Amino acid sequence: VNPNKTLRLILTVSVLFAAAPTWAAGADLTFDRYHRPEELAAALQDMARANPGIAKVHLLAKSPGGRDVALLEVGPETSKSTKTLPAVFVAADMDGVVPLSSEAALYLAKLVLEKADMRTDKTWYFLPCGNPDAASLYFAKPLRRDSRNAKPINDDKDDAVDEDGPEDLNGDGLITQMRVKDPEGEWIPIPGQPRLMKKADWTKGEKGIYKLYTEGLDNDGDGQYNEDGPGGANVGVNLPQMFKYFASDGGPWPGSEAESFALMKFFDAHREVGLMFVFGEASYCMAPPRGGRRGEADLNQIKIPERFATYFGADPNRNYTMAEVIEMVKPFVPPGVEVNESLIASFLGLGGAVNPMDDDLKFYKEFSDKYKEFLKTNKLDAKRLDPAPDKDGSVELWTYYHLGLPTFAMDFWTLPEPKEEKKADEVTPEKLEKMTNDEFIALGEDKINAFLKSSGAPDQFKAKQVIDMIKGGKLDTKKMAEMIKQMPKPPSAEGMDPKEKALIAWSDAELGGKGFLDWKPFKHPTLGDVEIGGTVPFTDNTPPAKVIEPLLKGQVPWAFELAKNMAHIKIADAKVKALGAGVYEVKVWVENTGTLPYPTAMGKRNQRVLPVILTLEGPGVQIVDGKKRSLVPSVAGHGTAAVTWLIRSEKPVKVEIKAETQIAWRDARTLDLGGVK
Amino acid sequence: MRKHATIGLLLFLFAAVLPAQKTAVTMPLRFDAYHTLDQVYESLTALNQAFPNLTTLEVVGKSEEGRPLYVMTVNNPKTGPAADKPAIYADGNMHGNEIQGGEICLYLLDYLLGNFGKNPEVTRVLDKTCFYVVPVVNVDGRYHFFADANTSSSNRGLRIATDDDNDGLVDEDFPDDLDGDGNICLMRRRDPFGAYKTDPEDPRLMVRVKPGEKGEWTILGEEGIDNDGDGQINEDSEGYVDANRNWGFDWAPPYVQSGSGDYPFSGTAIKALGEWTVAKTNICIGWSFHNNGGMFLRGPSRKGLGEYPPQDITVYDYIGRESERVMPGYKYLISWKDLYTTYGDSVEWLAQIIGAYAYCAEVYQTETETHHDMTSKIEMGGEKTAGGQDISERERIKYNDNVVQGELYKPWKPFKHPAYGDIEIGGWVKMSERLGPPFTIKDLVHRNAMAVIFTAKHVPEVSLEVTEVKPIAKNLYRVRTRLANSKAMPTMSYLAQKTNLYPKDMLKVAGAKVVAGGVLNDPFIDLVAYKKYKPEIQFLFVPGFGKVEHEFLVEGRGPVTISYESRHAGKLTKTVTLE
Repeated sequence: VNPNKTLRLILTVSVLFAAAPTWAAGADLTFDRYHRPEELAAALQDMARANPGIAKVHLLAKSPGGRDVALLEVGPETSKSTKTLPAVFVAADMDGVVPLSSEAALYLAKLVLEKADMRTDKTWYFLPCGNPDAASLYFAKPLRRDSRNAKPINDDKDDAVDEDGPEDLNGDGLITQMRVKDPEGEWIPIPGQPRLMKKADWTKGEKGIYKLYTEGLDNDGDGQYNEDGPGGANVGVNLPQMFKYFASDGGPWPGSEAESFALMKFFDAHREVGLMFVFGEASYCMAPPRGGRRGEADLNQIKIPERFATYFGADPNRNYTMAEVIEMVKPFVPPGVEVNESLIASFLGLGGAVNPMDDDLKFYKEFSDKYKEFLKTNKLDAKRLDPAPDKDGSVELWTYYHLGLPTFAMDFWTLPEPKEEKKADEVTPEKLEKMTNDEFIALGEDKINAFLKSSGAPDQFKAKQVIDMIKGGKLDTKKMAEMIKQMPKPPSAEGMDPKEKALIAWSDAELGGKGFLDWKPFKHPTLGDVEIGGTVPFTDNTPPAKVIEPLLKGQVPWAFELAKNMAHIKIADAKVKALGAGVYEVKVWVENTGTLPYPTAMGKRNQRVLPVILTLEGPGVQIVDGKKRSLVPSVAGHGTAAVTWLIRSEKPVKVEIKAETQIAWRDARTLDLGGVK
Repeated sequence: MRKHATIGLLLFLFAAVLPAQKTAVTMPLRFDAYHTLDQVYESLTALNQAFPNLTTLEVVGKSEEGRPLYVMTVNNPKTGPAADKPAIYADGNMHGNEIQGGEICLYLLDYLLGNFGKNPEVTRVLDKTCFYVVPVVNVDGRYHFFADANTSSSNRGLRIATDDDNDGLVDEDFPDDLDGDGNICLMRRRDPFGAYKTDPEDPRLMVRVKPGEKGEWTILGEEGIDNDGDGQINEDSEGYVDANRNWGFDWAPPYVQSGSGDYPFSGTAIKALGEWTVAKTNICIGWSFHNNGGMFLRGPSRKGLGEYPPQDITVYDYIGRESERVMPGYKYLISWKDLYTTYGDSVEWLAQIIGAYAYCAEVYQTETETHHDMTSKIEMGGEKTAGGQDISERERIKYNDNVVQGELYKPWKPFKHPAYGDIEIGGWVKMSERLGPPFTIKDLVHRNAMAVIFTAKHVPEVSLEVTEVKPIAKNLYRVRTRLANSKAMPTMSYLAQKTNLYPKDMLKVAGAKVVAGGVLNDPFIDLVAYKKYKPEIQFLFVPGFGKVEHEFLVEGRGPVTISYESRHAGKLTKTVTLE
């Protein structure tokens, strides 16, 4: 690619889109095709125009490609800059390669506008396309899949920028793959399915035949193909939690991109967001967010450094749990200071959390079970490939770990799982989950070994060892089933990648073979005789347009179920007791009527979500004991917390009790001291 | 009598340093008092006007309260544009109260400019390098440090309103200057159950009571009242977002490390400065001036980042140990190991994202406030006074009395406190503890500035030599080159090479067809590592005090241009004729 030409093309294309007439009005919105980022932004503007007073558009940023990062706000407080109601934020297509997720966000926005009861007591923020530059590639020719925005980056660190991108050599409008016979080739066609390739396994006597390349030329003659195409950073992995520095496509630092920086700034300014949805390829609804990462902080194995150990009377060589450390430190802290996980973690420099908190996994598990029932009811529970794992640096990790928000990643389609006859007596993780430890051990070593192998467990992981661990109490069937579910599926016997197998089956059955191209010969200027073919970009995550609406109709409304379960703080009861001489004891109970906790366990740890703030005021009322602003740091789902004041009042006045939160509503109650005996 | 006289003198002195006072900036700059923010701005303008050819003054961003963040570039345009020379970056006063950094930066500018063309060493340095100097990073902080009542440690953060005590209100309970003297001092209350008693050696000081002794005083903390009536005093003052925890590299949220801000680069001027440094690809070395303790710190800032490559440590050690000699008493140390762990600080940013060698200097040692020989440490004995940290407070109060005539300490004075009743206010004033008295400024700024200039003498300096042009067949020539670096720093840090941070140096041959070319590993046995593709462009770096040689087989006749281009060592060109 000539870089100047590419730039000119990008500019021309942007100008064309900018000049395109505004697209159909909000009411006419249909979900029978995928919409370009520009159309999505225009749709938001139309919705705002069609719903004055309850909808408005925020332009968060301009992408490096000159596209708007547009956000739609819907709710009763659009005209207010400071919100009193909590908000739900829906971010979609942060990776820019999941067109279906943008449609889902738009679909949800339309539903919310149509359902008045869903927007009377909360604000909704919709960001249907968080990465518009990348998202535009789905609509461009030739078709290629790339999560990076349009910022020029010198990928190969040579003397030119964006000088060697892919080319559509065979003119079919697609960037696919090239395979070329090469003495140093590592790939071979899979026996029985020669359209698919696998890496030759020398232990099986296989020898590589082909080298694989992305379709294109070596534009800068450096011996590498398509190593520095247009594109900068993937906005979807440019956020701070577990951000990967010096990776090829995540940007140089978290928030280096205008799109992601604007998002962080928005969340700082909008502390009313209490529930987060991230529409894309990952899902916290199909299964709870994964854990098991090795981090700096293991809260159950804390070592007290020597210099503190003497002071606290601890043994520097021993491991302590967080609870033990809290108890150890308490006597040394001045009265009034709460010793919590956050204080300890910060004081001992334990580093950040890298795994979901156990208490949060409880609600994730519960909602995941319910989601599966929901899908069953909507007849969308057919077996499909697992959603993609959440990515380091993603929005969902950031809003959960740093902001402490209940965050639900959602995906809406993966390839159907190809049908396979399983032997009736074969063990599966699902069966394993329901087995007792004894039942499992009773299967015998052979069956257990076969199960471990088919689950892709590491080779050194043998039945004998597993049985010993179960007997020793280190493992149980439940834990094991969970571990196995998170393991990547092993290639099937003939060496096929399960995803490719599903793709080719899908392509043949549903797309008339258009999702996977047969290898066709081509004369390449530098590589000579090559064949071009392989997976058509987006086949694995973007179903045909005709299924968009049914998929969204049966899945998107789950957002309402979760929104109904947001933490909701109310004053449950308030009682006054006259103690004589104008002194009263006032006791107030606040409750959380939602299933989601206030805040999440992660929110408790990171303390970004404010406590419930309880105030008591009345004319001439003096607080004898208790605080003017009482802070209740947390209220469990369907839980209660109490606050007591001693007050003094000359006259039997009315006192106003208020419970305030930013993300879980607010409540007030008046107490009449006159009516008290 | 003496007591009253001291109070009178103190009041007089404080009236004199209140911010309303404005002294005209004169050239050369004077370093016998600390400059207010306005005086820093005026000084920069004056330097810029006095040396219009050598300086560029640029506003790179605005603070939260709208104050400009200035960078001054010093470059001799006669020897080339700034971007083509190795650059030395220095900043100061990232923490609002750590004002010496601003003074050191101003002094560095003043010294370089004033001595250019006069002192041959300085002239040589400025002919070969350029300087990017940011005297005050936390402009709001410096402004408020001078303008408001403070301790020597307060007003450190950025002016990003933050809810420190999680009560839904922001910055609602600052310390209060109860006696209106411009300082936030200590409050104490007479209390027979207190943990302190009057120091038998100096009635102004307090010592901890021993078991069995009767107490006399309870220390109530910094001067202030409970502004928001929550039962806590001074618990939510400015920010707190720490400008030196808010940078984009290895940032961690506030629950991991307090003061990091809600997200990386949430400080507007910090973001602007960070992005500005990214655009300056020629920064070889970075200095960040803080107070106090007398330390030259290098990264890593966190153990988990892993140690720097050994070749880089050689460079750090060389410069660090020489700097210890320039600034006697200071220690060259490793940040995470010898001080504490930090996330998202500027020095790690400079090392990892900019690819510079970077030092954080913690200037000023309280130990120097003594009657004794400056280099020997004072032993404290078993007793610790209330305000004594690592030096006897008794020693410092004598210094206060006899060396600076009571400027540093405010004797206790009764006050009626709304919550505590009869209390006393007194102790060390704002301009003490972390800040040396004015007469010591000159020595401090000079030596630290000289450490910066020392490093400027060790940025890479590369020469390009064509060592051979030899015909080997008809129209085919063997051309050999040598790039040699006469300084300690390599042309690219080993850390930057490890992370593939930016394109390496390039050596290009133009004007004829390069048939083959590569690194000449051994000129005697002609051992060449040929580059398979595009031999006319070689990517390389030149090690400190080292060389790299290349060999090209060139087809053609006539002039051939050989050019070298490096982010950290400038550009060089040689033309040879094939004949």
